[in-house]
Amino acid sequence: MLVFQSVILGLLLGGLYALLAAGLTLYFGIMRVVMIAHSAFLILAAYLAWWTNDRLGIDPLLSLVVTVPLFFGAGVLLQRGLLSRLRPATLTMMSVLITFAIALMIEGLLGYAFSGTQRRIQLGYGTASFDLFGARVAVVKLIAFALAAVSLAALYTLMKRTQFGWALRATIQHRDAARLVGIDTERTAGYGFGLGLATAAVGGTALSLDTTIYPSLHWHWIGPLMAIIVVGGLGSVPGAAAAALLLGLAQSLLQIPMGATWAQTVFYVALFATLAVRPQGFFGGRLAQRF
Amino acid sequence: MPNASKSLLSYGLPALVLIVAIALFPSLAPNPYILSSGVIVLNWAVLATAWNFVGGFTGYISLGHGALAGLGGYATGLLITKADLPSFGALIVAAVLVAALAVPIGYAALRVRGASFVIVSIALVLILLLVFQSWSSVTGGSRGLVVPRPFPGMLRPDHHRAFFFLYGGLLLLALATWWLLDRSRFGMGLKAIREDEDKAESLGTPTFAYKLTVFVVSAAFTALAGGLYALWFGDLDPVFQFSVLTGSYIVLMALLGGVRNLYGPVLGAIVVGVALEYFKVEFGNSPLHLVTTGLLLGLVVMFMPDGVIPSLTALVKRLRNREDSSIREVTAADLAEQRREREAAKS
Repeated sequence: MLVFQSVILGLLLGGLYALLAAGLTLYFGIMRVVMIAHSAFLILAAYLAWWTNDRLGIDPLLSLVVTVPLFFGAGVLLQRGLLSRLRPATLTMMSVLITFAIALMIEGLLGYAFSGTQRRIQLGYGTASFDLFGARVAVVKLIAFALAAVSLAALYTLMKRTQFGWALRATIQHRDAARLVGIDTERTAGYGFGLGLATAAVGGTALSLDTTIYPSLHWHWIGPLMAIIVVGGLGSVPGAAAAALLLGLAQSLLQIPMGATWAQTVFYVALFATLAVRPQGFFGGRLAQRF
Repeated sequence: MPNASKSLLSYGLPALVLIVAIALFPSLAPNPYILSSGVIVLNWAVLATAWNFVGGFTGYISLGHGALAGLGGYATGLLITKADLPSFGALIVAAVLVAALAVPIGYAALRVRGASFVIVSIALVLILLLVFQSWSSVTGGSRGLVVPRPFPGMLRPDHHRAFFFLYGGLLLLALATWWLLDRSRFGMGLKAIREDEDKAESLGTPTFAYKLTVFVVSAAFTALAGGLYALWFGDLDPVFQFSVLTGSYIVLMALLGGVRNLYGPVLGAIVVGVALEYFKVEFGNSPLHLVTTGLLLGLVVMFMPDGVIPSLTALVKRLRNREDSSIREVTAADLAEQRREREAAKS
């Protein structure tokens, strides 16, 4: 029964990982950028959700109305203002440093504004849970999963069904060719970054529902997320989603014999094993071959 | 020979200044506190120079060198306390062990280009922090690990002085190694990787073996610096040893000084290291440290990715209006422009 419970929890957690990793792998697809600040924005969104609830007394989910457009805009600005201005020859390395610097600044500003104290949202339905074939599932975890699943589905539909999605995928696949058929790749790349950062806004709100947050929490997220996108194949969104569910499940199951801290190492073991055995990743990942 | 005099000017003179400064600083330092700050700055200088073996030659940026230093420190401490090795014997063995560990890490990180190296380097810090905090039966966990002093009975100022000279020696050794590599065929191959890895490979440079070798050398020097720190400071805490901040300070120092220059990382380490010590005294540990570090790193990457030394040299060169520069530093477009100008002048 404990195992079944862990499977349920692992899948719910995997859903959140999948959404966030999709954003991270999207940046890599668009610009070959490893966006270290992704998880810092995630924590920022979680703080904004907490703050909304704490100050205004409204449901943290409502903060999405503000944070999603805000983060989309920030993503576009980040790509247009900073990353696209770097020298192409050293882009991969220098963009890591830029986004790393942004992560440090966000962490520092969060610590300055809200102090290092651990924060947690107190919700009326925070402790509610229900029975699913004998496993106890907290309502907030289900909401978080639903939020992630809906956003991921929306992202997938956007990429597959809309003209913007085609333009974005064309930009990812072959930038020059995309430009030749008349796609404004610069603008598309900017919007793609905005989309990626919007996933962080959704993920952060979902995270804030049932997690204690503190400014340096983002380091606990970026490691697993980077491992997921490498295992899934850098740049592949379905690969990232599959790897996220798999590793989330593995982490949750390993928590039973090993405890929470050691179970986290599964991500790093998977990362090293993937790079040593199959550097291009296990799912798709055609792009990663050369990088 | 203008070339020889130039080389003497750009390598010999700073070396002399550095040696004299290291020799004189302990007797000029007004109090033991300043001397201990000097030890910390030299520690940064060694770390940044060791980092530059990878970052400067191959262009691969590691954000995880702080973890390699921490590993060197812990290995030294554990070898002394658990294996009863003499202090400096433990230091050497620790460096060899970390270098050996760098082989599988480098194997995973360097097989593919760029991005995965950075990912592995950050993951290394995060996983080591996790392991060293949790595995408290061996590492002491968050309680820390006390490393016995190598010179029992020595007074504190003398202790600082001894370690200042030890660090100074290590720095000179690291600089000499970098200088030798810079002039060697091996170094040429590494720089070819930095400029264009595909072309380097197609010209027959064994890129993977070269990258791995230089990563191991860099790890060994980093571990030596970390081990010396453990012997000097005497107390290790995983939160500080395996902090992502250490790695980012190292990168900031090296980039600020200039990664293509022998003395760039040393200069960066002096500037940033002194600033760090100053702000620690003036403002203590506040979250604004992170903001300032992030801001500085961002500014350097955006506006001075080649560092202060090349920026200043370029400025001086522009003021003097001289155009002798090696092929590596000019683009094909610049060369074509120069050729056109020459031909225009001829006709």
